[in-house]
Amino acid sequence: MFSLLYWVWIILGGILIGAGVHFIPVGGAPAAMSQATGVGTGTTMLAAASGLTGLIGAGSAYAATGGDFGYTIVMGGISAALMISILAFIANVMYVYGAGVPLASAKVKYDPISKWRQDLYVSRGTEGHGTPMSSFISGIIGAFLAGVGGALVYFALAASYAGIPGFGATFAGYPAPYYVSLAAAFAIGIFFLNCVMASYNIGGTIEGFHDPKFRRLPKSILASLVVSAVGGLFALLIVVMLPGGI
Amino acid sequence: MAEGERSPRQLLTIGVVGGLIGIYLANYLNSTTGTAWFSFFAGLGAVLAVFWGADAVRRVASYGLGTGVPSIGLLSLGAGQVAVLLGLAVAMNYSIHWAAPIIALILAAIIGLVSGVMARRVIKMNIAIMERSMMEIAMAASLIMLGFSTTIAGGFGFDLIMKYVVASGFIIAVFIVGGMAMLHPFNACLGPDERQKRTLNLALSTGFIAMLVAGIAAGAINGIQAAVPTMIIAIFGWIIYYLRFFADTKQDAAAVLSTGLLPKEEEVA
Repeated sequence: MFSLLYWVWIILGGILIGAGVHFIPVGGAPAAMSQATGVGTGTTMLAAASGLTGLIGAGSAYAATGGDFGYTIVMGGISAALMISILAFIANVMYVYGAGVPLASAKVKYDPISKWRQDLYVSRGTEGHGTPMSSFISGIIGAFLAGVGGALVYFALAASYAGIPGFGATFAGYPAPYYVSLAAAFAIGIFFLNCVMASYNIGGTIEGFHDPKFRRLPKSILASLVVSAVGGLFALLIVVMLPGGI
Repeated sequence: MAEGERSPRQLLTIGVVGGLIGIYLANYLNSTTGTAWFSFFAGLGAVLAVFWGADAVRRVASYGLGTGVPSIGLLSLGAGQVAVLLGLAVAMNYSIHWAAPIIALILAAIIGLVSGVMARRVIKMNIAIMERSMMEIAMAASLIMLGFSTTIAGGFGFDLIMKYVVASGFIIAVFIVGGMAMLHPFNACLGPDERQKRTLNLALSTGFIAMLVAGIAAGAINGIQAAVPTMIIAIFGWIIYYLRFFADTKQDAAAVLSTGLLPKEEEVA
C-alpha cells in the first residue's frame, strides 16, 4: 500500500545519493590521463559502480534478514564504500607504478587530513594526479552516504511492492520474487536520476570535501529533493494502480 | 542547423509516430494471430526512437555538459523506466490497455521536464534547450524501453512485461543496451567536424545492435518465433547502417591513408 513514510525515505535516499556524489573524487577524462586529481572516469560510471555494489549488498541483506531495516541500510553503505576504496586504491597503484606520478591535489597547499605538502608534487600544467589521502577518505564517506541512500530507496520500494498481490511469485526457477526485481530496477533508475543531477552540479569533476565546488551542495540537495519526489511518487503510484495485483 | 539536416520536429515525428506504430503493430498482430512472429515490429519502433533520441542527445550535448555524454542518456533511461512501468500499471488499472504506450510517453515527458527545469533553473546549467531536450530524451528513452520490452515479452500488458522482462532481469539489459544505443553515436562522433547524417547513421547501427540483444532475449521467452525474424532484421540493419556510417566517415575525413604494418625493431631505431 501507498505509505507516505516510504515516499519520505525515497526522497531522503535521493538527497543522500546526490550529497554522496559531492564527496566522491571524480576526476573525469583529465584524470584518466593523470592530469587531474581523482579516479579517472565520469560520475555516472563511478557512482554507478559503487551504487550498484551498494544495491547488491543491500539487496542480499534484505533477502537474508527478511527485510530488516538497519541491516539493509548499513550493508548498502558499507558495500558502496568498499567498492569506491577498491576503485581508488587500484587506480592509485596504476597512477604511481604505471604512469609514474605522485598522488597530489592542486586545490589545496596542504592535505587537510595527512597535512602533507601538495603543491610541490603537482606537475606543471596539470591539476594534480591520483587520489591523495583527503580525497580517498572523502570518497569513502561519499560512497557510504550514496550507498545508504540507494539502500533506503530500495528498502522503501521493496517494502511497498511486497504487499501487491501476486508479486511474491517468482519467474521460472529464479529465487527472487517479482517485487525484488521491480524494486531493484527502479532503485537503479532513481539512483541515476540523482547522481547525474549531482554531477551536473559539480560540473563533472570534484576532488572531495576540500574542493571549493563542495559549497554548491545546497543546490544539489534541492534538485535531488524535487527529482526524487517526482520519481519516487511515480514508482509508489504503481502500488495504488494495482489494488488487485496481477 | 546546417543544410540537408533533419529538423528536430521532423525527427520527433519519426520517433514518436514510428515508435508507437511499431509497438502497437507488434502487440496487436501478436495477440490477433496468437503467435510471436510479429515481435520484431516493436524492435523496429524502438530503433526509430533511438534515431530520434540520438539526435536530441546530439543537440544538447553539443553545448558541453561537463560530465560526458553518457550522463544524460542514463538519467533519461532512469526516468523512462519508471514512466513506462507506471504507464502500463495505469492502463491496467483503468482497463485502457491500448493507451499504455501513450500514457508512458506523457509520464516520461513529465519526469524529463522536471529534471530539465531542475538542471537549468536550480543547478543553473547554461544550456538554453535543456528543458526541451531532457523531455525529448526521456520520451525517446521510454519508447526505447517499451519497444524492446515488447519485443522480448511479445506484448505490452503490465503482467507480460512484469513477468518476462522485469522479473527475468532482462530489464537491466534493455536499460543499458538501449541507453548505449542512444548515447553512443554522439559520444563517438562529437567534435568540430560532427555531421548529423553520420551520427544518425551510427545511431541506426547501434539501435540495430540493441535490437539484436532484444532478439536474443526474446528467444529465451518466446522461442524462435520471436527471435529469428528480430535477429535477422537486426543483423541486416546493423550491417547496412554500419557500412553507411563507414562511408560517411571516409567522405568526411580529410584523407584516408594506410599506416602500414608496425615497423620492425631495427627500423625503429
